[in-house]
Amino acid sequence: MIDWAGFLVVLLIALVAACAIVLLFSLGLRWWGSGRRGARVAGIAMFVLCGLAVLFGVYLVIPSLH
Amino acid sequence: MVVLVIALALLFDFTNGFHDTANAMATPIATGALKPKVAVAIAAVLNLVGAFISTEVARTISGGLIREGENGIQITPVMIFAGLIGAIVWNLVTWLLGLPSSSSHALFGGLIGAAIVGAGFGAIDGGVLLSKIVLPAVLAPVTAGLISFLATRIAYAVTKKKQRGGFRYGQIFTSSLVSLAHGTNDAQKTMGVITLTLIAAGFQDTGSGPAFWVILVCAIAIALGTYSGGWRIIRTMGKGLTEIEPAQGFAAEAATTATILASSHLGFALSTTQVSSGSVIGTGIGRKGASVRWRTAGRIALGWLITIPAASLVGALASWVALLGVAGIVVDAVAAAVVITGIFVYSRRSRVDARNVHSEPTVFVRPKKRKRPKNREEGRR
Repeated sequence: MIDWAGFLVVLLIALVAACAIVLLFSLGLRWWGSGRRGARVAGIAMFVLCGLAVLFGVYLVIPSLH
Repeated sequence: MVVLVIALALLFDFTNGFHDTANAMATPIATGALKPKVAVAIAAVLNLVGAFISTEVARTISGGLIREGENGIQITPVMIFAGLIGAIVWNLVTWLLGLPSSSSHALFGGLIGAAIVGAGFGAIDGGVLLSKIVLPAVLAPVTAGLISFLATRIAYAVTKKKQRGGFRYGQIFTSSLVSLAHGTNDAQKTMGVITLTLIAAGFQDTGSGPAFWVILVCAIAIALGTYSGGWRIIRTMGKGLTEIEPAQGFAAEAATTATILASSHLGFALSTTQVSSGSVIGTGIGRKGASVRWRTAGRIALGWLITIPAASLVGALASWVALLGVAGIVVDAVAAAVVITGIFVYSRRSRVDARNVHSEPTVFVRPKKRKRPKNREEGRR
């Protein structure tokens, strides 16, 4: 009656996606704030990855794109 | 009749908008990532845009709850009319109490009540009610809460204290995404209602999509509703449940966004309102030293439980009167107008708006009746 498999998929994917985004953004903040040059570049890379994830979200929201 | 239904549908769309501003914007407002006015303006624009980019209207507005079609009952404009009255009245009552509750559930509830009066209890599919409404209402906040809890832990483990202000910038993006997703879903409901009414009245061909003016007015109605901001609900979500820091706000919104997008694309529908309330509670548990006000959470949960029965009761009453004929419909319309105006007038006795949205909601449910000391903590654990 209730689609438990579907629910588990939603739970797992949302869990992984949310944790990944928070992890990336947190790492970005940490490395950006560390002050070292190399770390700053890595931090920016993390922010870029986050931005891509958000863009993927926008892509999912707009039905005419897929 | 058709004009009346369209007007009510747009009014519902408006209440839907201001009810749900909180889902996306309560946390950025609470953490100061966005100024209250700016936040609701962004949400309004994104809802407007969202309403245009997706016009995939659900064919059955009730989502299978009511047995429509060949072997079932015909949903008439009168039923939709009565159902909408139930939904609007309940949305306004929960807004007055500052409770975040699902507008879709209010709409379903109103229609269920109207259908029961119009066609008997056989009109309702109990199995669908359980699997589409009751169980998801339990699962949604638990899921989002768990995800938000873990995300909060990660955010606090990785960052140092002085770096955490940066989460404010991230919040702007995640909350905007929630708003956009909301616009693509919720304005569609009203478009569906109006289109179905037009089809039922013979103004439009069966199976055709919504006309452009329908999309336009629905988009505007939900955007106006969003911009007017359900400050009471924003205050409950942002301040009433737990104190929110920027890192928590970001974690909660990431959890909300991920859960909503996953659920709407993998076919297991979860209510936006319930997901975002769950996220806020989850992040409250996740930060050391934060406390969740379980009494407020309990009240919200109670609100969810009674949303469908309450809205269906009003819907049933309105439907019963409306079936008496033209006079009944007039009585309904007048009564609805009186109740709606009454709630607005009553709400002005204790205004909550962009200016005082940051104050603690100590007088949470009963405005002005009891005088309490100003900063009393409510039900701290």
